[in-house]
Amino acid sequence: MKLECTIDSKALTLHVNSTKPLSLMLIEDVGVKSMLSHCRGNACGNCIVLVDDVAVLSCIVPAFRLKDAKIRTFETFHRTRLCRDIERAYRVSGNKPCPDCYASKTLLIESILTELMGSSRSREEGVVDEKAIMQELSLNTCPCMDVTELLAITIQAFEYRRRRRGSN
Amino acid sequence: MEATRSPMIHQPRTLGELSLLFQRIEHPLLWAGGTYLMSRSDFYPFPSKAQIVDLGRIEELKRISRTDRHIDIGAMVTTSSLLSAGKLVLPSILKSALGSIISHITRRQITIGGSVCEPESRMAFSTALAVLDAQAEIRKWDEGRFTAAWIPVNRLYDKRGALLLGKTPFVLTKIRLGLEWGDFQRFVLIDNPIRTPDTAILVAFQATRNQTALTKVRFSASFPKRAFHLSPELENQLSLLNLPIHPDRVNTISYEMAHDLMNRHESITEFQAERTRRVFESFLHELNIQTLS
Ligand SMILES: Cc1cc2nc3c(=O)[nH]c(=O)nc-3n(C[C@H](O)[C@H](O)[C@H](O)COP(=O)(O)OP(=O)(O)OC[C@H]3O[C@@H](n4cnc5c(N)ncnc54)[C@H](O)[C@@H]3O)c2cc1C
Ligand code: FES
Ligand code: FES
Repeated sequence: MKLECTIDSKALTLHVNSTKPLSLMLIEDVGVKSMLSHCRGNACGNCIVLVDDVAVLSCIVPAFRLKDAKIRTFETFHRTRLCRDIERAYRVSGNKPCPDCYASKTLLIESILTELMGSSRSREEGVVDEKAIMQELSLNTCPCMDVTELLAITIQAFEYRRRRRGSN
Repeated sequence: MEATRSPMIHQPRTLGELSLLFQRIEHPLLWAGGTYLMSRSDFYPFPSKAQIVDLGRIEELKRISRTDRHIDIGAMVTTSSLLSAGKLVLPSILKSALGSIISHITRRQITIGGSVCEPESRMAFSTALAVLDAQAEIRKWDEGRFTAAWIPVNRLYDKRGALLLGKTPFVLTKIRLGLEWGDFQRFVLIDNPIRTPDTAILVAFQATRNQTALTKVRFSASFPKRAFHLSPELENQLSLLNLPIHPDRVNTISYEMAHDLMNRHESITEFQAERTRRVFESFLHELNIQTLS
């Protein structure tokens, strides 16, 4: 099928199989370097990208659901202010994910921050449900970081995000 | 080259258009969230002769409605929208089951219809629906038209948890829940049903406490890719009990339950049976504690 969509701010027309998973499209047809995984259903959680600003596991999204979609991979996400909140939290903690899961874990944290910012209680009072955040984080199975450490990083990044939004 | 071998994708907007497609296509493959379909190891490349019917544009299937007697949930409602729309009206057991699915990211994609119609294995949603006496509206394609029937969800599966609906093409349109729920509801998931199906268990239990007696007990347990367990005998046995249940009796009943589980489902491991027994036993202890406090 002919697929028109935007990937990392570039308008593209791709000729792909209608059921081709987005992860494979990004690897084979677009050459995205931060996209490494295609685990075929093992739920590794290492293929996260944003489609119309919403995080998805790209290996379970088919081409036919992507007409006119705006896809953003870590390659352009890491240049945004949103990403800086998370990278600042990595720096402060003195730890960060390994190169293989850096992109996915960072986008997973971004997806958690988006959910938290969408809840008025979290946004205004800074209240977070740590258990729910840990459950979210467990979507990525890469064992390079302890989940409590990732939790602390997520909460720290959320603080940066709240402060920044508060001051805007 | 790749483009010419693509499966055909149909995207109806109404149930009327869907019925026209069923008329034309012999074996339509219905596509809901696609999480099951795409996570099969042989998914891609998909057979080019396949005719995929994407249900994602049919608004009628995305509705949740409530009367004073029941809640209807459209097949294409996602687990995340059901959780957020249903916060005030859903039974707690269903909220726990939906909440047990890891991450907003997957919940936004997994649909109610896809969870009930996944052909091989019972997971969180079906396990919880089984104890809520939920009904599924199934439209079978028979002699050139759809015939609708309400079928109890717990009769849709065999003891392995595989879907029983046979070879006739069908579409599930909605799930109906009554509004009378027990005042004791529990859903427990241990381990990840996708990543570690060999050790995972999903257990749902509900009951009503009438003064000092238990009534309307419902119990179900699922073991991904292995078994779907219901036991009307156990439910009847428990429904006759007075509260508090003597600790010795709790112990005996839980071992009998586990024994029955192993007898009926050779595929589950002793470890899974013991896990289920402990969870089940904890429900009975909890009922006792609530009665005494
Ligand atoms: C990464 C990942 C994590 C998961 N985590 C969990 C979890 O934590 N807990 C859990 O319970 N499950 C989990 N699942 C499993 C998921 O719930 C099932 O795969 C479910 O079947 C998917 O629903 P879907 O809408 O994506 O279905 P699809 O993949 O679109 O469809 C599933 C099947 O149902 C058929 N179908 C769909 N809709 C209808 C309809 N309306 N009428 C008739 N047939 C229909 C399809 O043809 C297909 O055979 C997970 C899956 C993945 C990939
Ligand atoms: S590559 Fe998508 S979940 Fe593993
Ligand atoms: S990719 Fe992170 S530890 Fe393996």
